[in-house]
Amino acid sequence: MSRVLARHRAILLAYLGMIVLLVITSFFSEGFLAGSHLRTMVMLSAFIGIVALGQTFVIIGGGIDLSVPWVLNCAAVLVTLMANGSDGPLLYAIPIALAGGALVGAINGFGIALFGVPPIIMTLAVNVILQGGILVYTGGAPTASAPPLIQYLAVGRIGPVPVIVILWMLLAVLATLLLSKSAFGRYLYAQGTSATVAEFSGVPTLRVTVLAYTLSGLTAALAGILLTGYTAQAYLGMGDPYLFTSIAAVAIGGASILGGSGHYIGTIAGALVLTILTGLLPALNLSNGALLIVYGVVILVTVSLASEALSDFFSIIARSIGRKRDA
Amino acid sequence: MDLIEATGITKRYGGITALSDANFRASAGEVHALLGENGAGKSTFIQILAGIVRPNGGTLNLNGSTFRPGNAREAQAAGISAVFQELSLVPDLTVAENIWFRREPLSAVGMVRKDRERQATLDLFERYRIPAPSPDREVRRLTLAERQIVEIAKGLSRAPSVLILDEATSALPPRETDWLLGLATQLAEEGMLVIYISHRLAEVRQIAQRITVFRNGATVATHDTSAVDDDTIIADMLGRRMDRLYPERISTATDRVALRLRGLSVGSRLADIDLELKEGEVMGVAGLQGHGQRELFQSLFGISRARGEIELWGKPSTIRSPRDALIGRDGIALVPEDRRSHGLLLTKSVRENLTLSVIPRFTRFGLLSKGRERALVDEMLRTLQIKAGTPDQLAGTLSGGNQQKVIFGKMLLTQSRILLLYDPTRGIDVGTKGEIFRLMRDLAAKGYAILFYSSDLPEIVNVADRVAVLRNGRLAATLSGDEISEHRILREAMFEARAA
Repeated sequence: MSRVLARHRAILLAYLGMIVLLVITSFFSEGFLAGSHLRTMVMLSAFIGIVALGQTFVIIGGGIDLSVPWVLNCAAVLVTLMANGSDGPLLYAIPIALAGGALVGAINGFGIALFGVPPIIMTLAVNVILQGGILVYTGGAPTASAPPLIQYLAVGRIGPVPVIVILWMLLAVLATLLLSKSAFGRYLYAQGTSATVAEFSGVPTLRVTVLAYTLSGLTAALAGILLTGYTAQAYLGMGDPYLFTSIAAVAIGGASILGGSGHYIGTIAGALVLTILTGLLPALNLSNGALLIVYGVVILVTVSLASEALSDFFSIIARSIGRKRDA
Repeated sequence: MDLIEATGITKRYGGITALSDANFRASAGEVHALLGENGAGKSTFIQILAGIVRPNGGTLNLNGSTFRPGNAREAQAAGISAVFQELSLVPDLTVAENIWFRREPLSAVGMVRKDRERQATLDLFERYRIPAPSPDREVRRLTLAERQIVEIAKGLSRAPSVLILDEATSALPPRETDWLLGLATQLAEEGMLVIYISHRLAEVRQIAQRITVFRNGATVATHDTSAVDDDTIIADMLGRRMDRLYPERISTATDRVALRLRGLSVGSRLADIDLELKEGEVMGVAGLQGHGQRELFQSLFGISRARGEIELWGKPSTIRSPRDALIGRDGIALVPEDRRSHGLLLTKSVRENLTLSVIPRFTRFGLLSKGRERALVDEMLRTLQIKAGTPDQLAGTLSGGNQQKVIFGKMLLTQSRILLLYDPTRGIDVGTKGEIFRLMRDLAAKGYAILFYSSDLPEIVNVADRVAVLRNGRLAATLSGDEISEHRILREAMFEARAA
């Protein structure tokens, strides 16, 4: 048992941090722990969590996906335009939007694994291209409102439980299965730990990379579709907050940003922490600008607290104190 | 009076005791060898001398007074210079910049005086006749051997009174090894203390006046080299007598050709190699450093692109990547040169490392069967006698010898019957070396075909059935039977055959 604890220390820390944050916030803000408010928070976390699912796979594999904001945005715009407010066309609109997201992810993967483009450049470029494409396509105008079915998926409930949370948990089970029980997961961790050793060991590196980025494109697109249901329509720039939060959720969840370690179970805690933070800050009565500054700083500190580098730093300090005592 | 006097040094890392009772005395003007198996505590001890690690107990005197360096700089200031097995050069800097790193000659306004730095480097090379590459070359472009030499030059540049050489010859080809052995003797004659760590007994005998042996973190004995035989030294290291290092060589080669090469070439570094490796045969590949051995192994494993024909078990085959080589029984598996960066995931478990190449063997519908994986892992831990606490121990925490066994296990699990072993005993203790050689002969007897390179020539001479000697990327000779000797191999490796 203690070995399991040691191996998943980073993930446990993330959950511990989440609980501490929850307690602190409830002091500042009355009614914070009320059922309805908690439910809203978990719903908001689900959007981050779904985008961060693919991001988790990409980061564990040693890459990073900066194209999520506009993959998300494109899927949202495509679905609302195709559906035009009614449920019928969703039958083909949703599959098309998801396939589009997956395709963009696959292109990212091929560019990186086959042509050796660095992940940051490849995905950043794709992000900008998509942004341009959607501007040209829509002329910058807002789109039709989200059809009822999507609104149900995003904000509806089954009993007390939001539909999107059920969806999120199903995805979490799938992600856990892939990471912990599948050959793909084993290859992904190996590749993120050392691309050279993975190649020397016969790991199908091209396939693994393409699959990881495809997953990321797929989950970003899914989050985009669902988000239209929450905001009632698609608008340009709706994906922008998810670049930072998807990466931060993975890092807070205990993954090494350099790859090779981490788990989606940690990312879930990361998504929750980020949402609680957004809830805490308005309670402090800050202006919008000040809010963003505090948000950024808090994320920076949280991520570095969760990172191995800092825990190494602390253990060095602890050791040098111990050494002084010896001498 | 002794220059270095260490008594009862202890060092613990958490619950692990690296040194329990290290005693060491050495005086100026001698070459003093420090021997022991991997994990015996040699590295910890010299890290203490070099100021990198601080001991938990014991006394350490330098020149008669207490010596307690707080960091590497203080140890260097006290005249101790260490050249470690793990190289510490900055790849993007030149040779000269590396040697004078953080000690650069500066002008009045604090700019580096490149001309002086360069001249100081040349003077240094001249003074010790160092066979080093040009001072202006970037370290990233150097071979492992050249880097090792630069590292030695850097150690010498501080004009130390104690020079520590840790496995310095394991990366050096024969000629440079001779230079270093000569240099060590010369430095001792000039009054320096040279502490020499090596797994090669022959070298130690050649230069060291005294030998101190460590075992399990404690000093076993200090001998005068001239008054002790090899068996006693090995017995001190192992705590028991070992039968012999090299197993008996009984040829098990059949007529069946496992690997046939025709006109294999890699760029301009390997040209027109024709070679036949038989089932049940151990073939050594020898040659001076950089004469095509690496390219041969890399091209057979799909890491360098090659022209020419490769036949595996009689069937033509194209190998463009390690995946093309690792195709099960009829494929090729490799023990790579650099086990830490090419062979192992140091931060992953022994289990995950062992099975990384054979995940499909215990996967159904994309899902892993932990039970069947466990069976494969247990089989390898048992047959190779890998000393790991549990299969979940991290590979990076194993000793060098056990790390290499994990790589062997990983290779054997692939079931490939053609094995490429590139310097499989580099930096490994003598006990594990013996086990590896016995394993090679056992595998050959089972019908495996083995291509074997070693930077330690006697290993090739004593283990291989036949030896292919490379010179300038070409096959200079294939020796067998009584023709195999160090002398003959070196002659073929260095000189064009004269017309009879």
